[in-house]
Amino acid sequence: MNLLRNPVAQKRWQRFKQSRRGYISAWLLLVLTTLSFGAELLANHRPLLVSYQGELYFPTFGAQHSGKDFGLDIDYEPNYRELQAQFRDADEGNWVLMPPIPYGPLENDLIAGDFPPHAPSLTTRHYLGTDTSGRDVLARLIYGFRTAMLFSLVLLVFNYAIGVAIGCMMGYLGGAFDLFFQRIIEIWSNVPFLYVIMIVASIITPGFWTLLFIMAFFGWTAMTWYMRTATYKEASRDYVMAARALGASGSRIVFRHILPNSVSTLITFVPFSVASGITALTALDYLGFGLPAPTPSWGELLKQGTENMESLWLVGSVVVAMTLILMLVAYVGEAIRDAYDPRKFSFYE
Amino acid sequence: MTDALLRAENLSLHFPQSQGFLKPKLLLRAVDGVSFALQQGETLGLVGESGCGKSSLGKALLNLHHPTSGTVAFEGRDITGLSAAQMRPLRRDMQMVFQDPFESLNSRHTVATILEEPLIIHRLGGSSWRRRRVNELLELVGLPASALGKYPHEFSGGQRQRIGIARAIALEPKLLICDEAVSALDVSVQAQILNLLLDIQQRLSLAMLFISHDISVVKHMSDRIAVMYLGELVEIGDARSLCERPAHPYTRALLSAVPQLASPTLPQAALSGDMPSPMAMPEGCRFAGRCPHQRAECLTQPPRLEKRHDGREIACHFWREIPDDLP
Repeated sequence: MNLLRNPVAQKRWQRFKQSRRGYISAWLLLVLTTLSFGAELLANHRPLLVSYQGELYFPTFGAQHSGKDFGLDIDYEPNYRELQAQFRDADEGNWVLMPPIPYGPLENDLIAGDFPPHAPSLTTRHYLGTDTSGRDVLARLIYGFRTAMLFSLVLLVFNYAIGVAIGCMMGYLGGAFDLFFQRIIEIWSNVPFLYVIMIVASIITPGFWTLLFIMAFFGWTAMTWYMRTATYKEASRDYVMAARALGASGSRIVFRHILPNSVSTLITFVPFSVASGITALTALDYLGFGLPAPTPSWGELLKQGTENMESLWLVGSVVVAMTLILMLVAYVGEAIRDAYDPRKFSFYE
Repeated sequence: MTDALLRAENLSLHFPQSQGFLKPKLLLRAVDGVSFALQQGETLGLVGESGCGKSSLGKALLNLHHPTSGTVAFEGRDITGLSAAQMRPLRRDMQMVFQDPFESLNSRHTVATILEEPLIIHRLGGSSWRRRRVNELLELVGLPASALGKYPHEFSGGQRQRIGIARAIALEPKLLICDEAVSALDVSVQAQILNLLLDIQQRLSLAMLFISHDISVVKHMSDRIAVMYLGELVEIGDARSLCERPAHPYTRALLSAVPQLASPTLPQAALSGDMPSPMAMPEGCRFAGRCPHQRAECLTQPPRLEKRHDGREIACHFWREIPDDLP
């Protein structure tokens, strides 16, 4: 890892760590994201472990078990929460280990004698209550977070790949290429992409990848300006001239010299891109142009919440979750910006 | 005279300066019709005030800036207009040491990476050979082997310039262009670097174009000296005789500006005024406005380089009349 051994990078890392708030936020965010990628083990209607007649079963993974496997007279999948209660009552040494939240994100839990949304309750183990279809809010929050995070990270990769490539070429080649793409980008970034998504959504139901492609299609322009400027700046410096004097090829100059030196520009914008990715997806879901119906999503939950203001746990939990995550991301962004602030440290010492 | 290593013929480098949309572009004449030849193993000093086009000339010679007109021939082969790929094999033979050692080294690369890069670009040797070669280079420029893993910012200016020199000679070039190679350094360090360059030049028998604004430094280094003013050469000649008996009024002014410890041999012929803008050149002799010997003809007729009996070339209408023996 040459990039991390670099003393400049190390100093920045030190300064990033010194910003306690940002450093802790980065860890929290990392832990939350990692946990959400194991969401099946946190919130699931299938148990982590079933011990039946001395044999262990892992219903979370692998093929679906029918009720017959566990001595029930049904061919379909048993309700493991009820199975857990039955095993406990029978007391024959069989047991079921449920995840902390024993509900899946798509499962409707309709409690007899009550209309959904159900209020938060420890006895029903709906810790944040259920939504209007009886689905567990906490489970949907976790799965929704995973979707949003995954979406914004993949979107970031796409936007950066296209934006950096084109921005770098604009800065390095300059001239007519630069001028042409400047105009293209000016036009492109003025296309109201929300309308495009509405139009597309009216024709097909956009899935995860369709949405991603549409957003990347219009989102790459933002990075190009920064990359273009950074490339222009670096390309005019003497070390690039020295590399040219040595006979280095264009690609060598770009990849070995210019890009590593402009990486600071890229990194500073990562947290803000993630935040805007999450917000954009939530907004689309809220408006109903986002991911298709049963997909757990924050925007959809927010919409339910605003429509059912008397069930405050709906809007409350999603607003708190959203605020928390965006705040963490913003703190990380702030710490990165501080770490890269040239006023505190310069190449010239 | 086809035996010259490097020959510039009427070389010009103009930069169009945009004034804004639809306005006429101004032409910055950084280098304007320069001709000279550099022999194998010879050191030519190039002096002139800052902004006179010395560095641009150096970069144009290496095709780092594409010359507007004129030709540069390296070992008899015209290299103007060659593409970067066509230039690559030639780059082995012509290298450059840059002015600012802070800027000319990539701060993200270690010394080992910096010195290995020319060898990698020209696909020389295997990795173990390259490592040996890098060590050799370090030794040649007087840096310890412990420098290999360090980054440029951990070195002083003089040490950094040594790294720059090591990189430039890594390919064993025939021509080294030193573009103000010592002007960013302390005087005490300057001497070390100059001696290092002289030492390396003798060992590798390379030809050197030594660009500097400091005529005393150039005098120390060069076999011949070329004096540049506003994009043109005004005088070229043997280093010692040029410094002792300068013929062009501008060369005299440059020499008289050198502080002397012993009895001042040159009269104080300090120049008045500034260099004219290279975007609005005077019509006649470019130096006329500041020349103490200015006459009417100077304002209308541009002088050409004329060869004197001893090989000195002077661009002045009245060099015969201006006494070249200093009072």
